[in-house]
Amino acid sequence: MSSDLQSLTRLSPDRIPVAPSDRSDQIHTDPNWLATLRRDALACFEEQGLPTRRQEEWKGTNLAPLAAMEFTRVGASPNFSIPMQEDVGLGPLLVFVDGAFDPAASRREKLPAGVRASSLAEVLRDEPESIKGYLGALTDPKIQPLVALQTAFLSDGAVLVLDPGTTAPHPIRLRFISTGDAGDSSAGTSAAFPRLLVIAGEGSSLALVQEHISSDDAPGLTAYVSEFHLAAGARVECLEVQAEAAARVHFTSLHARLEENATFDSHVITVADGLVRSEILVELVEPNAATKLCGLFMGQKTAHLDHFTTVDHAAVNCTSDEEYRGVLANESKGVFRGRVIVRPGAQGTDTKQSNPNLLLSDRAMIDTKPQLEIYADDIRASHGSTIGQLDSDALFFLRARGIDEAEAKRLLTGAFAHGVVARIQNEELRWVATTQVDATLTQLEKSESERPK
Amino acid sequence: MPADASSEVIIRIHDLHANAGETPILHGIDLEIRAGEIHAVMGPNGSGKSTLSNILVGKPGYEITSGEVLFRGKNLAEMDPEIRAREGIFLAFQYPVEIPGVANNYFLRTAVNAMRTHRGEDELDGFDFLEKLKEKMKLVEMPEEMMSRAINEGFSGGEKKRNEILQMLLLEPLFCILDETDSGLDIDALRTVANGINQMRSAERAMLVITHYQRLLDYVVPDHVHVLSKGRIVRSGDKELAIELEKKGYGWLEDGAGANA
Repeated sequence: MSSDLQSLTRLSPDRIPVAPSDRSDQIHTDPNWLATLRRDALACFEEQGLPTRRQEEWKGTNLAPLAAMEFTRVGASPNFSIPMQEDVGLGPLLVFVDGAFDPAASRREKLPAGVRASSLAEVLRDEPESIKGYLGALTDPKIQPLVALQTAFLSDGAVLVLDPGTTAPHPIRLRFISTGDAGDSSAGTSAAFPRLLVIAGEGSSLALVQEHISSDDAPGLTAYVSEFHLAAGARVECLEVQAEAAARVHFTSLHARLEENATFDSHVITVADGLVRSEILVELVEPNAATKLCGLFMGQKTAHLDHFTTVDHAAVNCTSDEEYRGVLANESKGVFRGRVIVRPGAQGTDTKQSNPNLLLSDRAMIDTKPQLEIYADDIRASHGSTIGQLDSDALFFLRARGIDEAEAKRLLTGAFAHGVVARIQNEELRWVATTQVDATLTQLEKSESERPK
Repeated sequence: MPADASSEVIIRIHDLHANAGETPILHGIDLEIRAGEIHAVMGPNGSGKSTLSNILVGKPGYEITSGEVLFRGKNLAEMDPEIRAREGIFLAFQYPVEIPGVANNYFLRTAVNAMRTHRGEDELDGFDFLEKLKEKMKLVEMPEEMMSRAINEGFSGGEKKRNEILQMLLLEPLFCILDETDSGLDIDALRTVANGINQMRSAERAMLVITHYQRLLDYVVPDHVHVLSKGRIVRSGDKELAIELEKKGYGWLEDGAGANA
């Protein structure tokens, strides 16, 4: 039994006696299975406590900044009022403030029949049985303490359901805003536990944007868990941008399960200044499923950006193609672990992995390791990681054409970063990613040029 | 091209000693090139030809240990590579680099506008630049689709060299250095590249053509030919010297005995 994060666990729905007038529709209408899920998860977390660097999966990351936090609340500061949401996309926009759905800030476009984008709280209130057997089905709180913690607080987030054969014509956008203290330090340290559940029916198709931002730089925790169920032939392409402020700890854990011929493409762009742990587990459980995992982490100042991905090849003729790139400035640190499991009998597996890294400063660090566990013989597997500075010949070439050194560096760094963004298929997703990456490149250049010589 | 003693001295190299890394390569080069002139520097491998071109453009790792190089009277050693380029020095590289992710047309426009800004001219907008680009591309017979591709990525040897000449045509330098531009070209590509170079010949412009073989000089006829050996100019003459070298090889000059002005 661990005593980690007691200030937080005592705030769990399970522990707080809720006045009916207070949290009226949620807790008291929770079905038994959900209450059990939450209670068991809380027990799992308390059993395991926070992960430590003694555990193989956590060797690169120290959670001491999280352990030191004294939490006073879960959810938004009462003082917080949400600013107008910039909204340029065509599809629906669902906004979540500290994990809770904010209908006023959201724009719920009319979706084609068979495509639904709802808040989890609504679904739990109106038709909880529709997600029973899906919610929590892909996660294992017994081995992932932070997933357990998230599950213990599970109450709101997004549920996207696509009936067989349906297509969302435009990307569905989810914006998660953490509010910090809204300028009032007495508001204390907060935690947010948004959740996402995607049920993509047979042959359905979805593009999805998930953005995590924060409204100020107060300490706090965001723990986000997403589950993607892809039935046969379903196609999902998703972009997740992690751009929370430096003082916040951001944990995200994605779980996808692919049936026959399903395709799941994930693009993760991590530009947060603080501590980020981003986990992905993709299970290829039926033949001919394919996944592409692309990532770009861009660190500045003292950011610590840890990406831990696992692809589990459990059926024949599945493919996985993974490329994570790191661009690290100042004293930032990147961690990349790419685990690939090819189970006995998963013949015809084709798996690729690469992790090129660009260090813009001699104080930046990258810790990268592929981890291949192969138990089948008729497969193709490749992996590789590189660590380097900008190519000096390319830099000189550009200068010899009259382009000044700073601009030449910007061009080459941009080319490296955008190389992975270019792999996004959906145009709107690529536009969101490009805009974010350009803005971050400008910040990186600024923070590198401000460093003491 | 007529050049007389009254035309401007574009480049003056005086008693130049230089290192590549820690290794002394050039041991006292004297060379003066005036506007309107084409000089060829020939020599065997390892004679210092590439070191000379790298010194002229300021490549990191190459260092002047004594002597000086003046470009239109200004000391080159005090100028960063990008400033030299903007002042009008251009090197067509022997081995052009590939730069994935940076589109050729974007790069060219950035470079052209860096020059224009340096000269106090307005930047070209996308439309005007494109007009100019298309005109120059015709001269080197490059298909338009190559412009949206990344710099030199997947280009053949000949395409890379054409791309170098295209850059020269667009940037309109005053002093062009062509470092083994003929190497690896078949006869058609050689002719195209030579045409591009000849387009640049003018009374205001000077050129230094560095080559191992004489064949480029059939198309780009030099006013002066110098033979470089072991870091020194051991012989200078006119275009007949290049023909003589082609017949006799470099061996008869290697001992330095044949050196004269």
